Amino acid sequence: MNKNSPNLRLAGVQTLELTQRALQNEFRQWVVILPGLIFPLMMAAVYSSQFGRTLGLPGFPEVRSFLDFILPGSIVQAVSFGATSAGTALALDIEDGFFDRLMASPVSRVPILLGRLGGAAVIAAGKAIILILIFLAFGAQIKAGIGGALIIILTASLLVLAIGGLAQSMAIRTGSQEAVGATFPLIFVTIFMSSAFFPTSLMEGWFRALAENNPITWTVDPIRRLVIQGWSTTDALQALGVPLLISVVTVSLAIRSLQKMLRSS
Amino acid sequence: MPSRVQALIRKIDMKSVVEANGLRRTFGDLVAVDGIDLSVSEGEVFGFLGPNGAGKSTAVRMLTTLLRPTDGQAFVGGYNVVSQASEVRKVIGVALQDAAIDPLMTGHELLKLQAVLHGIPRQSARDRGEELLERVGLSAAADRRVGTYSGGMRRRLDLALSLIHEPKILFLDEPTTGLDPTSRTALWEEVRRLNTEFGTTVFLTTQYLEEADELAGRIAIIDYGKIVREGSPADLKASIGAPTLRIDIDPQNLDKAQSVLSEFGIDRPARDGRVAIGLDGGVAKVAEVVNALEKQGVEVLHLELDAPSLDDVFAEATGRRLEGAETPDE
Amino acid sequence: MSSGLSEMKHSRQVAAAICMRGMRRIKARPVLIVPTIVMPVVLVISFTGAFSSLTRIEGYGTSNIYNWMAPYGALQGAVFAGIGAVGSSADDLEQGFFDRLLLTPGSRFPLLMGTVGYSAFRALIPTTAVFFFSLALGMTVPGGIIGVLSLYIATSFLAVVFCLIGLVILYKMKTQRSLMLMQVIAFGALFISVGQVPQSFMDGWLKIAARYNPITNVLELSRQGFLGDVAWSTTWPGLVALASMSFVAGGLAWRGLKKLAP
Repeated sequence: MNKNSPNLRLAGVQTLELTQRALQNEFRQWVVILPGLIFPLMMAAVYSSQFGRTLGLPGFPEVRSFLDFILPGSIVQAVSFGATSAGTALALDIEDGFFDRLMASPVSRVPILLGRLGGAAVIAAGKAIILILIFLAFGAQIKAGIGGALIIILTASLLVLAIGGLAQSMAIRTGSQEAVGATFPLIFVTIFMSSAFFPTSLMEGWFRALAENNPITWTVDPIRRLVIQGWSTTDALQALGVPLLISVVTVSLAIRSLQKMLRSS
Repeated sequence: MPSRVQALIRKIDMKSVVEANGLRRTFGDLVAVDGIDLSVSEGEVFGFLGPNGAGKSTAVRMLTTLLRPTDGQAFVGGYNVVSQASEVRKVIGVALQDAAIDPLMTGHELLKLQAVLHGIPRQSARDRGEELLERVGLSAAADRRVGTYSGGMRRRLDLALSLIHEPKILFLDEPTTGLDPTSRTALWEEVRRLNTEFGTTVFLTTQYLEEADELAGRIAIIDYGKIVREGSPADLKASIGAPTLRIDIDPQNLDKAQSVLSEFGIDRPARDGRVAIGLDGGVAKVAEVVNALEKQGVEVLHLELDAPSLDDVFAEATGRRLEGAETPDE
Repeated sequence: MSSGLSEMKHSRQVAAAICMRGMRRIKARPVLIVPTIVMPVVLVISFTGAFSSLTRIEGYGTSNIYNWMAPYGALQGAVFAGIGAVGSSADDLEQGFFDRLLLTPGSRFPLLMGTVGYSAFRALIPTTAVFFFSLALGMTVPGGIIGVLSLYIATSFLAVVFCLIGLVILYKMKTQRSLMLMQVIAFGALFISVGQVPQSFMDGWLKIAARYNPITNVLELSRQGFLGDVAWSTTWPGLVALASMSFVAGGLAWRGLKKLAP
């Protein structure tokens, strides 16, 4: 496919087209997006009102307010809602037979996957922007400024690609919407077992070990430093690099599953 | 005129157990049942025939106290379905469309629950439950979850459940929709037996002409919430006109046959080697026709009597056909 | 007179049968109850793990994080169990089985009571799961058997409350989907309460919201036996909160049922 460029261009156009379809689908279901915003906001509001005293604990990072501290975690949580939707939607297409029709049409295969992921990534960026604005309105501060905010937004998009790719390969393998949907609680727990809501330095035992080796922590920690400490190129690169690497792995996994499925059928 | 008199006589010497006067139900702008009058006598099998969405189920739901009428009155077993709903529920058995059965329970568990719901003492509930299972042929399957039952088995269990408290009046809402022909016939057999052996009054709705014809002593045809025809299937069909009798004979006897047949009804068009008339009096007259022909030395080679069907009745009443319009759901 | 008595006996039997039926459904498909067990256990793991350092702060009320979080997890699980009981009713409504129940002679009140009873029993499952799980990880019960009893009373009755609220919504919307909304409401109601920290830790709007949230009283009732001895002064506000919530939600549910089924 990457041998001749017209094909590649066609694939690009098709990806954009299918991204658009995915976006339209999502927006039509704004009710589905809304909980993804409200829930993390509620948690942020409650946590910043009840965890004020934890800032004084020895080992808690130097931070102005719990609101600043929790901003990265809230954004990660918000985009994780609906991150699996690229997979559930694909599974639904498979269940409905729409997928078979797409397969039979001259659209090349990979854009079918990338289109959905692209849609989810755009939505994630939108959610991140909305959340940042709300946090700022309530007095949060991003020390790294606009550049830092941009890194956060990009990281949110990449994270959705990473989770979405995983959900898609599950969708292709199981062909069941329910099975893909069932991974959501897992992601929810994974976020809790990270530094998203509390510093790992204050955790203990096996839980701390889990949290410290959690890719979510690797992503949240550098963003958090951008928010509470200020600009650092190393942090910016780490924040982007971790989800980028994971998404390369998961998306190619999804593409491989697709090709395997095509070969077997 | 005579039918009015007949109706009056029937009302006098038989107890009416289902009675509706101007029964009406609307859902917003939609008029589901548009002022129907009904009278079903004790021991009757009454059929409510109509296409999907004609208002049959809505009418049954009102008669069985599950839905409040917008207007009009109804009495079942002599009790008002609105003000004496609890009394009504004691005397009726109901098998609703799609066999409303919890797939996670076994046949036995459902029967036991149903018995408790109707306040039947445990021992008699057990005996009665076994008897009913036996009767509907589900004894062997009674400890299996209903989710594993076939469509026919579900309907039969549903029927057994609706009979646990020995109701005087049985409502069956589309009892055989979606069933295969064998299961359908088996269910008909059971309903017929209930009616003849136990004198249970049966009120059934159906969209199948054959079912109405087979089971019901009297039917009402409902369309767009209104009853458009009512009577026994035979009377309704007779009202369409005489059935067509077609007889194959040796062509040289054609004239002789024609003159014999003209005494029994008016000529109808027929192809070569055949004579056809509209036979006044229907089936009962066939033997007479054959005898008359033989007397004149005309040998009957083949004979067909095409009776008007309920579909003809439906078509005549509504301008549409019911047959072929049936859409088996799922 | 005797007919009134037998009517009451019938009502009691119907309610018991409906309740039993729910339990049989669990036995028939145990998978149905798995989320109700897993979810609160996972919550306990997450909250105790992430926020274990809260015990180091002066005035937290306990030095054992399990003692604080387990009752919260158990209540959350119980509430989901209560809503799950409404799920069975939603199945009935969608599959038409509800009609069969409505064709029962006599009052519809036992139908409601049966479902409510089922929700209370169902709540025992997550409560027990969380209790023993946390005990295994180091939770202690300084309040003794009465403390455990307080936990069970709080969880079962809060399950009843949310079952009733769920029924109000179900009778109005008539779909299984309406319960999704219910779970979000339930999570929020417990979240804006003393689930993770005591009232003294809170400030601003949350302090006020948590103080007037009746669930705070229920949480304190359920948790007291794990922080120290059971005291009447902590017990009665919880009981009053449960009773008044049940009363209001019960009235609304009863009205909804009567409206749904004439």
